[in-house]
Parts: sequence; structure tokens; C-alpha cells
Amino acid sequence: MSTWESLLLGLSFALQPQILIYCVLGVLLGSFVGVLPGIGAMAAISLLLPLTFYMSPEAALIMLAGVYYGAQYGGAVASILLRLPGTPQSAVTTLDGYPLTQQGRAGLALFTAMISSFTGAMIGIVVLVVLAGWLSALATRFGAADYAMMMIFGLVAASTIGATRPVKGFAMIALGVLLGCIGTDVNSGAQRFTFGQAELLDGLNLVALAMGLFGVAEVIANIRNPERQKTAARISMRSLLPTRDDLRRIPLPILRGGALGSFFGALPGTGSTLSAFLAYATERRLSRQPERFGKGAIEGVAGPEAGNNAASITAFTPTLTLGIPGDPIMALMLGALIIHGIQPGPMMLEARPEMFWGLVASFAIGNLLLILLNLPLIGIWIAMLRIPFNYLYPAIIVFLCLGVYSVRGLTFDIVLVAGIGLAGYLMTLAKLSPALLLLGFVLGPLIETNLRRALLVARGDPMVFLERPISAGFVFAIVVLLLFPLWRLWRRKA
Amino acid sequence: MKQSTTLRLVLASALCSLALPASAQDDWPSQPLRVFVGFPAGSSPDVLARVVTEKLSERLGQPVVIENRPGAGGVIGIQQMLVSAGDGHTFGTTINGPMTTSQRMMDDTGFDVAEDIAPVTLLATSPLVLAVASDSGIEDLEGFIAAAGAEPDALSYGSVGQGSGAHLTAELFAAEAGLSMLHIPFTSYAEVTTSIIGGEIDAGFMAPSAALSFVEAGTMNVLGITSSEPFGQAPDVPLIAGSAGLPEDFRAELWNAFIAPADTDEAIIARLNTEITDILEDPGVQEQMLGMGWQVAPGTPESMAERIAVDTEMWGAVIDRVEAQ
Amino acid sequence: MQRDWPEVWGGLILAIVGIGAALYAGQNYDLGTLRQMGPGFFPVAMGLALSGFGLFIALPAFWRGGEGAQFDGISLVLVLAAVLVFGLALPRLGLVGASFVTVLIATLPAQRRGWLWRGVLALSITLVTVLVFHLGLRMTLPLWPRLS
Repeated sequence: MSTWESLLLGLSFALQPQILIYCVLGVLLGSFVGVLPGIGAMAAISLLLPLTFYMSPEAALIMLAGVYYGAQYGGAVASILLRLPGTPQSAVTTLDGYPLTQQGRAGLALFTAMISSFTGAMIGIVVLVVLAGWLSALATRFGAADYAMMMIFGLVAASTIGATRPVKGFAMIALGVLLGCIGTDVNSGAQRFTFGQAELLDGLNLVALAMGLFGVAEVIANIRNPERQKTAARISMRSLLPTRDDLRRIPLPILRGGALGSFFGALPGTGSTLSAFLAYATERRLSRQPERFGKGAIEGVAGPEAGNNAASITAFTPTLTLGIPGDPIMALMLGALIIHGIQPGPMMLEARPEMFWGLVASFAIGNLLLILLNLPLIGIWIAMLRIPFNYLYPAIIVFLCLGVYSVRGLTFDIVLVAGIGLAGYLMTLAKLSPALLLLGFVLGPLIETNLRRALLVARGDPMVFLERPISAGFVFAIVVLLLFPLWRLWRRKA
Repeated sequence: MKQSTTLRLVLASALCSLALPASAQDDWPSQPLRVFVGFPAGSSPDVLARVVTEKLSERLGQPVVIENRPGAGGVIGIQQMLVSAGDGHTFGTTINGPMTTSQRMMDDTGFDVAEDIAPVTLLATSPLVLAVASDSGIEDLEGFIAAAGAEPDALSYGSVGQGSGAHLTAELFAAEAGLSMLHIPFTSYAEVTTSIIGGEIDAGFMAPSAALSFVEAGTMNVLGITSSEPFGQAPDVPLIAGSAGLPEDFRAELWNAFIAPADTDEAIIARLNTEITDILEDPGVQEQMLGMGWQVAPGTPESMAERIAVDTEMWGAVIDRVEAQ
Repeated sequence: MQRDWPEVWGGLILAIVGIGAALYAGQNYDLGTLRQMGPGFFPVAMGLALSGFGLFIALPAFWRGGEGAQFDGISLVLVLAAVLVFGLALPRLGLVGASFVTVLIATLPAQRRGWLWRGVLALSITLVTVLVFHLGLRMTLPLWPRLS
């Protein structure tokens, strides 16, 4: 079957009224829950799961997928307006999106986020359609050594973003990796830093960490801060519209972010997170004025948003063609198929082409709906900023607590948020970047596990990292990244 | 302790048969039931629980709400069930781990299986299959044992974690076959299959449903299955028991069960047992479960208590051996 | 001269956390070797690295001028208390009770506001919460305080 035939099959399937309605339902709900701090796609999909019993598996998958990528749009809203990221990839969006809001340019930031998300997703769809076969094989080519080096590369490349001085970035990554050590060690089964608490065996709750470090800390810092109350007054209708300068800055970051996201999304595990951070790091490195980043650079919103949305599209390839879910939400969607007796795997493309291509077509339809829905909503979100902070923040506190609770239903996690919030506030005072902490927290355990696994498989031979071509490529890239500043220093002296 | 539980159960069932249906339990259930599941929504144990509770709700005329409390291999779910217990409407489903091996693997699970939990019935069992990459050239169990026996740690195998069913099953197999294999822990079957196909590791014991689609695609071979009878989802896979010199009684299965807090009224447990075993007799339910890799295994609370005791001892011995290495 | 106290303290706390974690991990978990790392290897290495970075942040800041940060102890304590109370009260007071009490505590640091304002705000936020999470998202939570 040619690509065009597949696409036509997909479109004709996805445009059937009884399928289309679920697509609409999914993206609406996703975009709504994405705005709620910490709630995100996971809670919404768990909620919908029982309903999928009574639906056709194709409709179920298309609806749940709609929630998944729809939530990315909503997540950007909370990150930009309130500095409330529920995921590490949205944390990147706060780096420049929130400063823009503080400068009264929230409209521009939201507009950019929406356009970038849409374009990023479209890039992801094109890549998925053209390279579906290649992408699905990508995951099996990556071994433990390759993953370990790829993630170390990601950490090194991103290590200085959002930090005022490099050493502060390193410290935050180290702290994040250390916090990631909490829980059961995959390789040995040892229970580290759990102090007998079963709630800690699977590690700290990521949403609790993000909500404490960003949300709670931000609320505390703003309650008696007179500056915060002025934000609303700064907004004018003119500030909603991008200037010609802004429009010139956006397209290339979107393309680069989309390309990065399409590639990393196809690797199960951390596609979205890595692509958002790497897109940001790329833009800052390429920029002629890197000092603008962190203070409201529009490229810092465009690149990562395009990246994480592209990744959320290509992430479906390993999930459906290998049965390898990239994250817990993907696993949940697999569960919805398994209920219907469908085991996603290598035969999926041949056995159920209408499901796969129908889903791909629904991505295009869904994202189109999302952009049409979200652009007019920007006005409403901006209006929300006019609500005095005193009315808003108590609601933020209650909502974020419930968001944390929704992840696994343990009040333990809410209590944890209080402790993390204290740390987050102290970090705000010392100007330490919580975004890098989250990156270290997410990548640290994966780096450790894969590093040790690679050595175990190689029977202790460290040459494995240089013998595998993919791993060796990343080792080379890491060396270049580390030597680059030294080279620049040397050239400046010479 | 085990004896007293069994005794209590025997007494309980005797009492129920006398007391039902004209007892004070006539008004049960008077409110929605809550069923705690120690795994996330959409996971295999969760889906299984949903299939059963959906029918249970129809039969009892009350909603049955699934409460997902994932964590610590299912232990959190049981802990949360026990915290919320006391109203006669709080139950749980669990896999075998927390009921048999978690006490050994964790510092403190916070509950005692015999004292705190009343078995209701087993729901279903799932064997594991031994899978290798098809380009490994290994076609059958004899070939595998010959390749693995060439020298210690000649072959590596993946599992879904230290102390997981997949790990302990492989160690049991290795011990029975006189092998020593290198254990590489992962966190999900999906990771294990990718790693086997990618040629990074050699083998793995895994859920049949995780391997079968790769067998169909020609990238994996399954060499044997750990159940004591041919398994409906993969009837052609040979039994490990009795082949290639392994003992006739070789059996290693994961199971899923319905449980209640220990202080639940015996009549309620008996009623639930009747309803659930009836549900599991339904051919539609059986087929649905088989599609997800589970073979229904209805039974009495007593037989479940016995299964817990047998498995705790069997896996305990395997853990002893692993720890001694 | 005004020292950069927030960075001095921030760096020192990081250094202490790092050393503490490294010591605890070193004592309790097997280090292993570079070729076969044990569960203690990463925490010890990261702990030591963190303490090094922490000192690198703290020491230069000690001799450098900086603007003091505005430390708002009252907001800090009350917001954390609000979160804590929500977590502890949720199983006992239900969604309605916990939201109401939490908003009351959270509004305490708001300046120039009366009790009537707090009460009305608490009621409205509780109402929105119930609408969104109970009716909208169908989260399984006790709604009302448990009387028994």
C-alpha cells in the first residue's frame, strides 16, 4: 500500500461521524484538563478508560490519543500564565513564557505556543507518515549503552539552560539525579532513601516535585510581592499581537524543534522531555544574543513547544508497532486496546491498517481543531490574568494539591508537596533553576539504569560504549560539547 | 497462624451455608463497593479487575468503583485497602507478588498476609513463556539448555525487576536445569522484548501476550511455557514440565486474586465468592480474559489460602538460592 | 558591604544535602566497582558532586556583593500549612471540608482583607472545586466530612 493510499484510507476512516465525534471529545477534554495544574492527560485518560469498554477500539484509541496531545496545548497555558508546569517538558516553556507574561506579553507567548504546537505536531505527522517503518525500527536499534550516552548527551547539552551561572545548573542537575535515586534501584532491587516508606519505593511523584518546585514556590514568592499585582495592569490589546520582529524569530525554531521532537519522540522513554530541553538548548546556542534567554525570548517558547508536540505524535510509533509504551500514559492507551483483545505489536500495521492510519489522520484533524479552539481562547486566558492574585492563588493551591493526588490517589504525595515547596521557595531566593532539577530527576535514573545495564550485558567491559556506533556517536558529541567552551576560551586568548 | 486462618475459613464457610440467605447480610451491599487495585489504570491487573467488577456490579445491584493505588509492586494497593477497611464494602484485587514474595523483598510491607487479609477467590492465572530472538538459532528447549550450559553466564536473560515473577521463574528454571544465567533486570516486558530482538540480551521469561505478536512476525521463538497444562492463548507452545529433563511437576504461574480485609464478615466473603466464581464461569468472560493472557481460575477461599502457602514456600526457596549466590 | 546571602546559604544547604546523601548511601548501600556498579555508586558520586558544586556556589558569593532577597516567612509558613492541611484533612473532612479550610488558611497572608472576604472566597473556590473535580472529572473522593 502506498503512502497516499494509506493516508486516504486513514482520512476516510477518521472522518466518519462516529469516529470524528470521539476525536473532538478527546481534544476538548485534553485541552481542558491540560490547563488544570498537575491534572494532565493521565487523570483524564484514567477517567475515560471505563467508557472505552463500550466503544470500538479504533474510536477509543483516537479519543484517548486526542486527550494525550490535546493536554500538551493546555499544559502550555498553565506554564506560561502561572508558572505551573505539570510535566518536565512544560517546565521548559516556563523559562521564557512566564517572563513574557510578567512583561505583559502573555498573549504573544500563548499565540507562539499554540502556533508552534500546531506546526510541531504537523511536522511530527509528516515524519511519521513518511518514515513510519524506519521510526518503528529505531527503538530496537538502541541498546542500553546507546540510551545511556544519548541521555548523558542530553544532560550535558542542557546543563546550563535557565541558570544564571553554569555551576548553579550543574548543582541542580546533580540534585535532580540524587532525588531520582530515591526508590527501588532497578538493577539491584535495593531500596534507596525510602526510610521504610512504601510510598517512596517507586520514587518521588514527578507531579508533586513539579508542583512543589514551581507552583507552591511561585505562590509564596508572589503573595506579598507588589510587582505581581501590577502584571494585570500591563496588558494591553496591542501586546497580544506579535510584532514583525517576533514573527521573524519564530519559524526556524519551530522547524528545528519539530525535527528534534520527531526523532526523539520515536525513542520510548523520554522523547518529549529530551526534545523540549534540547530544542531550548539549541535555540540558545544558535542565538546571537543568548543572554535574552530566560528573560522572555520568544524562541525559547517556540522551539520546545514545537519539539514536545512533534514528539507526542511520533511517540505513537513504538507504542503501536512494537507494543512499547513510551510513558505511563501510552501504557494506559495500550491497556485500552488490550481490553478489546488487540495486542499492539509488529503485525499492527498489516493487521489493522485502518486503525493505524485512521489514528494518524485523526492527529491532523485533532490538531487542526485544537488550534481553532485555542487561538480564540487566548483572549479568555488573558482576561483571567486580570483576576487579582489574592483571588487566584488560594484556588491554585487547592487545584495543584488535587492534581498531585490524581496521579495515584495518595495523600502522602500532597504532604510531600509541602516539603518540596519549602525547598522550591529557598531555591527561588537563591536563584536556582528548578527546570534543570526536573531534567536531572527524569534522566538520572534512566542514565544510571542503562549505564549499569550496558556494563552488565558487556560483562563489565567499558569498551561497549565505543564499540556500538550510536553510543560512540553520542560519546563524540559529548566530547565536542565539553571541549567547545575551552576552544572558545583558547581562541579568545590567542 | 496458617492453621488458624484455614480453620477460620472452614468455620466461616460452614456458617455461611447455614446462615445464608436469611441472615443480617440481606441488606448487603447497602452502598457502592470499592475495589483497590495496586496497579495503574489500563495495566493488566487493572483491566482484569474491571472485567470482573463490571459484572459484579450488575449482579449486586450496586456500583463497584475501582480505586487505582499503584506502587511498590501492588503493595500500596493492599495497604490502602486495609486503611479504608471496616465498612464491609472495601475490597481489593492483587497479583501473587504482594501475597507471596513481597514480605521477603521489602523492609516492611505494613501488613501480614495471614492476619490482615482474607482470601476471596483466585481470579485467573498466567504462565510465562521462555522466548529468544529467532535469529539466535535456538529452536527448542534442549537447544537452549545446551547453549546456556556451555559455561556459566553464557546466556543472559531479562526480567521485569529484581524479585519479579519473571526473575524468580527464570531462577527456578535455571536451578532445575542446572544452569547459571546472567540476570539483566528491566522494568517492563516491552523493554525486555525490544532488548531480545535488538540482540542485546539472549532470552527472557515473559507473559505470552507480550511475546506472541513477535512470534507471529517471525522475530521471536518461544521455547516453552511454565503452566502445568497447555495454555489456551498459546496451545502449541510445549510445556516446560517434563521436557528436556525438567521435572514433571514444574509449574510457575502468576496469578490474580480477589481479596478482602481480614475483618470482613464471613457471609459477605462467601457471597462474593459465589458471585465471582459464577462470573468466571461465563464463556464470554473466559474468552475476554484469555485474549489478555489470563486463564480463569475460580476456586474457594480455602484453595486460595492453600495456593498462597504453597507459592510462598516455593518462591521463598528460590529467593534463598538467589540471595546465597 | 552586603554579602550575597541567599547564594551563600543556598550553596551551603546544597553542600550539606550532598554530603549527607553521600554518607548515608556509602554506609547503607554497596558501592560496587566501576565495571560493576552497586546501588551505592550513583548516590555517592552525585552526593559528592552536589556538595562540590554547592561550595562553588557558596564560597565566591561570600566575598561578593549581592542584593538580599526578600524572605517572606509568613507567606511561606501559611502556604505550606495550607498544603499540609489539605493533604491531612482530605480523607477526614472530604473534598468540601478540606478545600474550605485550606482556602481559609491560604488567604491569611493576603493583606488588607477581612474575614467575610475569606469566607466568601473559600465558599466559591470550594464550589468550583466540587464542580470540576467531583462532577466534572469524577475523581473518587469523599465529598463531605466523615461524621463518625
